[in-house]
Amino acid sequence: MKFRLTAKPTMLTPIDQVPCNGRSSVVEPNRRLLLKLGAASFLAPSLPGKLLHAQSGPQSCSPPIPPNHAPANGGSCPYPIPWLDKNGNHNQSPMPNVELSNIYHFTGKLARANGFHGTGTDNHGNRFAWGTPTTDYSYMAGEYWAGRQSRQGVFTHT
Amino acid sequence: MPSSGIVFSADGKTAMLQMTDVPIIDQPRWPAMDAATTPAFMDFKLLFTATDEPVKYEDPAHQYRFEGFKASAQLEAAIRVASIDFTFKTDPLESSKSDFAVMGSEVNGKYYEAARS
Repeated sequence: MKFRLTAKPTMLTPIDQVPCNGRSSVVEPNRRLLLKLGAASFLAPSLPGKLLHAQSGPQSCSPPIPPNHAPANGGSCPYPIPWLDKNGNHNQSPMPNVELSNIYHFTGKLARANGFHGTGTDNHGNRFAWGTPTTDYSYMAGEYWAGRQSRQGVFTHT
Repeated sequence: MPSSGIVFSADGKTAMLQMTDVPIIDQPRWPAMDAATTPAFMDFKLLFTATDEPVKYEDPAHQYRFEGFKASAQLEAAIRVASIDFTFKTDPLESSKSDFAVMGSEVNGKYYEAARS
């Protein structure tokens, strides 16, 4: 299962080329590279994986339809943060004194960071600077409550 | 993500995330409502390292509490957009940095009050 979080594109900027009119071929990589380093890979727990170099994969956490009139307790999807969810967001930019979690009813380890920046190279040998003030990454690892039971999960927001 | 994708040091002061072939999207016209998307893939390695400076963010009205330390965070990544034959690889992990990072523990929602007692 994959959750889309607040969309914040990562801007890649040429290091050694200065855009002049916003439409030149020099600028095109910028637009193309609004590739969201994170396009939101907030990935559900319990996916089969290998030690490190783990691969992500789809998994449904939607509530199942109970057979034979059995109780419906909901699915395993984590609860969103209520006051963010009502505005259509699942998280907010990490900074002091804000709710850093992406999940409501959570207890566990959490780390968040933003304002990443660095440099890199494309497949044509062009050097670019990457990152914006809102390029953020995080992990959450611990217990959350969903479907009327405690569950364990590890999540990342990229 | 699989739990094997994250490794903590014995003292808990560093955490390394590493994943490959994470499906993402290339969306050059974001945030336009009709912005087209193109499938892409990403590998990344993310390192958090805690400092000794403690932080605590708590809001009883919103039922959350984070306790931890200021940290540094570094990222190394590779991106592939096959449909336009484009790849991008960042320089090694050590060459990147972030403006803000914290790592620690969080309780919220139904766990908030229980963790206080």
